[in-house]
Amino acid sequence: MSMIEIRNVRKGFGALNVLDDISFTVEKGETVCLIGASGSGKSTLLRCINLLEEVDGGTIRVLDQDLSELTDVNAYRRRVGMVFQQFNLFENRNVLENCTVAQRKVLKRDRKEAEEIALIQLEKVGMAGFRNAYPSTLSGGQKQRVAIARALCMDPEILLFDEPTSALDPEMVGEVLNVIRELSNEDMTMVIVTHEMNFARDVADRIVFMDRGIILEEGSPKQIFDHPKNERTAQFLSRVLDRDI
Amino acid sequence: MSFQKCLEILVCYLPSFLLGIRTTLLVAFSGTLFGLLIGLIVGGIRAIRPDRTASRGKRRMKKILDILLRIYIEVFRGTPMMVQAVFIYYLVYSNIVRWDKMTAAIFVISINTGAYMAEIVRSGIQAIDKGQNEAARSLGMSSFQTMESVILPQAIRNAFPAIGNELIVNIKDSSVLMIISITELMFQSNSIAGTTYRFTETYFVTAMIYLFLTGTSSIVLGWIERKMNHTRTSIPQSDTTFSSISLASKGGEDS
Ligand SMILES: Nc1ncnc2c1ncn2[C@@H]1O[C@H](COP(=O)(O)OP(=O)(O)O)[C@@H](O)[C@H]1O
Ligand SMILES: [Mg+2]
Repeated sequence: MSMIEIRNVRKGFGALNVLDDISFTVEKGETVCLIGASGSGKSTLLRCINLLEEVDGGTIRVLDQDLSELTDVNAYRRRVGMVFQQFNLFENRNVLENCTVAQRKVLKRDRKEAEEIALIQLEKVGMAGFRNAYPSTLSGGQKQRVAIARALCMDPEILLFDEPTSALDPEMVGEVLNVIRELSNEDMTMVIVTHEMNFARDVADRIVFMDRGIILEEGSPKQIFDHPKNERTAQFLSRVLDRDI
Repeated sequence: MSFQKCLEILVCYLPSFLLGIRTTLLVAFSGTLFGLLIGLIVGGIRAIRPDRTASRGKRRMKKILDILLRIYIEVFRGTPMMVQAVFIYYLVYSNIVRWDKMTAAIFVISINTGAYMAEIVRSGIQAIDKGQNEAARSLGMSSFQTMESVILPQAIRNAFPAIGNELIVNIKDSSVLMIISITELMFQSNSIAGTTYRFTETYFVTAMIYLFLTGTSSIVLGWIERKMNHTRTSIPQSDTTFSSISLASKGGEDS
């Protein structure tokens, strides 16, 4: 069973066509990295999977449900976690509460259980020691690790990452990528939008290259990075890989 | 004007002044509290953007609701509270129920304050970055749960100075409710002045009492605000946030 099945999806904002006939699938346990120049529609695609945006055409099936036929959007959303570029922690709540509030409201777990689960996940991302800290006192890397723990607390079956390290200072990128790498090793199903090409090559089972609203090329990291078939893919890669060094 | 005389009037008519103070404070406090409640509901509804996945019917209902709430806000901010007081008092009194003046006064000041609070709350909510809203929704929280446990607490906190300002405004502006003869401070002062014929001295005492009430409230509110910021030094208050909030409050419009 495919975890995510996207068929002929179209999406526009006014006259602007952002997604133009996109199709791809993600299998259980797979880590797919979505790469492409900024503005090519990667975020929009992730947001459509999470129903933060609605598609104009085509179908998205996730966890064996057609998203256009969902009756309970909230129940669906909690099964698909999302990690944002800007972390989006709840500023009025400390680290522990950030991880418990949705567990209690959505999953109806009692405080004790929610806190136990939160601490397990915080431990996993190395942030349990900061349980009482407020977001404003944390570094970007710490915030992002808490955001990942917060998503994990909902027992998601799929995790979506939208440029999780793009807002970070360079020295903090590694700590966040390590957490994601570990999740990948545990066979969490993940779709990751990233500009970290070395990370993508290392962690991805499959790379999907998007360009101006279409998928130009997809394949194994080796295939994409070492033998790109499409000229635009090659151009893009040489540009970003140059910048990496 | 003699200060000697002022003091005499204050001492001599202390029970009358005290009754006035009591009524003024009662009306101002309950008006601010109920007003805040109205503001939270109205401002909260106004700030909700229907989900992209919401049905067409829901969206249309929200549009109609928005228009009605907008009318409420414009009407109550655009007419004097004194006029609202007499109009609503007599409207209800002669057509619906012979209600008591104190109830009428608290009712009027509450819905009047509610109109201002709604705008304070709305701009407070809109100043909260929408990323937090999306994060909450992506965890499966409903728009109501998100509003109640993530957005509103921050909006209230950020808007606290503007909310507190409404209390000060209400202490002063409740004086216009004398028009429906409740025993608040201004009404009491008028009776005292009418008895003593010492208009200047009486109203000087009245002014001093108002100044004392607003000054004390100001100090207490400032203390609460500092206390709040002390326990959680977490919420950065940007200048733009602050000015948009104070613009929505009565004080901001007066100046
Ligand atoms: N809410 C929106 N309204 C209008 N245009 C948008 C909106 N979101 C994204 N876009 C536009 O869609 C295009 C693709 O954006 P996005 O999906 O964010 O690309 P990427 O994540 O690959 O950088 C961009 O041109 C962007 O300006
Ligand atoms: Mg993006």
